[in-house]
Amino acid sequence: MITYEYRRAESLEDAASVLEKYGDTARIVAGGTDIMVQIHEKDKRWENLKCLLDMTYLENELRYISEDSENVYIGPLSTHTDLENSEIIKKYLPFLGEASSTVGSPQIRNRGTIGGSIGNAFPASDPLPALVAADAVVVLYGLCGKRSILLKDLYEGKGKLALRRGEFIREFIVPKFPEGTVTGFSKLGRRKALAISRLNCAAALTFGEKGEITRARICPGCIFIVPDRVEKAEKLLIGEKPSEKLFYEAGRAVSDVMIERTGVRWSTEYKKPAVEEIVFRALAAAAGMEV
Amino acid sequence: MERIKVSFTLNGKPCEVMTKPYSRLLDMLRDDLRLTGTKEGCGVGECGACTVILDGKAVTACLVPAPSVEGRNVVTIEGVGKEGKLDPIQEAVLKEHALQCGFCTPGFIMSAKALLDENPFATKEEIRRAISGNLCRCTGYEQLTTAIYEAAEELRKLNKTKI
Ligand SMILES: Cc1cc2nc3c(=O)[nH]c(=O)nc-3n(C[C@H](O)[C@H](O)[C@@H](O)COP(=O)(O)OP(=O)(O)OC[C@H]3O[C@@H](n4cnc5c(N)ncnc54)[C@H](O)[C@@H]3O)c2cc1C
Ligand code: FES
Ligand code: FES
Repeated sequence: MITYEYRRAESLEDAASVLEKYGDTARIVAGGTDIMVQIHEKDKRWENLKCLLDMTYLENELRYISEDSENVYIGPLSTHTDLENSEIIKKYLPFLGEASSTVGSPQIRNRGTIGGSIGNAFPASDPLPALVAADAVVVLYGLCGKRSILLKDLYEGKGKLALRRGEFIREFIVPKFPEGTVTGFSKLGRRKALAISRLNCAAALTFGEKGEITRARICPGCIFIVPDRVEKAEKLLIGEKPSEKLFYEAGRAVSDVMIERTGVRWSTEYKKPAVEEIVFRALAAAAGMEV
Repeated sequence: MERIKVSFTLNGKPCEVMTKPYSRLLDMLRDDLRLTGTKEGCGVGECGACTVILDGKAVTACLVPAPSVEGRNVVTIEGVGKEGKLDPIQEAVLKEHALQCGFCTPGFIMSAKALLDENPFATKEEIRRAISGNLCRCTGYEQLTTAIYEAAEELRKLNKTKI
């Protein structure tokens, strides 16, 4: 059994100083739906855990969803239930709300937070592709102050985030899409089922006056080591009108890039058609096509 | 390791417990408080047997650090029903034969209660979604859905007569 001391973060500064002091032997708990499972399963990563740092008493500072004319601002303690029900998310980032609504079960969505979904550094996170597709920025808080980076650059490699000692996620800033943008999210497979059947994709399409696509964002989840948009597939769509054929072509462009980046593996034969389908479905959902 | 004090509201009454810093809410309820109605199935958030209501929302007690309920409001199956009388949800589960071994039942009832407290007009679809995080290995989910649906009707009637 992994045992540890418990600390309640009193303020943002207090949280940063505890993390600074303990380094790798302290870990944040927000909703606990990842870390409490890992601790229960005696995950090697937490063998040396000395201190569990509870952030949930900083709701005033860290649990909110707000907007101004340019951006949507999301506090990391916002739960999946908060995101699913937020009018701001429904209006400006509907695919993020949809992704949140598919996480686990009601109990998990009531506790699990968006900060935890990213802090867990797991590529199969459901809210992740929508945030990356929307070019979200993450604000990090540390004793030396705040810094902002693109969310995709927070991912450094398998299960690793570019957080410095003492730093934690303070906020997500998501730029609003241009007028006339629609979004879609698709997901295949269940948690804990075979990893190859855990795929998801977020897509956003902006239409011009003649119904042609003027801007496209496609972010598949779980297929790259670090999350990323697939520009090669996005470019294919520009100037075109939505069609089944076009969206499957985009799907094939995504699977080509997957093979370019990760090589051919034992799973590729199964994964390739699934990736193409999941990209197609996200695009079709965005375009409001019946599938 | 030194125990720590946790003060919170449990089933409507103030409660103070000394527990291990690494206890889960589930351990604190079952081991420190001897409230064994909340069950441990999987211990990893997947079966819902440990469901309790925390500040109005259904959560799995196996994933909540015990000290994280300091100052908060927790309702367990022991707090459902009043003055020795079963809650309409419990009555309906019995009437519909919606249980066999009963291990999953407290969890289902807590998920149902959280839903009906928030939305007394829940549809069958909403009920199915609300209990989707609860697993039962013996009985069908349809009996449970029907039972909860009937309980909602009963609760609406009771509330009307109150007003
Ligand atoms: C039964 C079950 C089903 C699930 N199903 C899904 C699913 O369908 N889709 C899905 O995407 N996920 C799923 N999950 C995973 C999990 O719910 C999510 O990844 C997410 O909600 C975790 O959020 P949390 O607040 O509970 O994280 P916690 O467990 O509290 O934290 C997760 C990690 O992030 C770190 N962290 C938390 N907050 C911060 C912060 N502000 N700054 C830096 N680091 C931080 C923590 O230290 C920890 O390492 C499931 C989990 C369970 C148990
Ligand atoms: S014991 Fe908590 S969900 Fe299974
Ligand atoms: S009645 Fe036995 S698990 Fe549900």
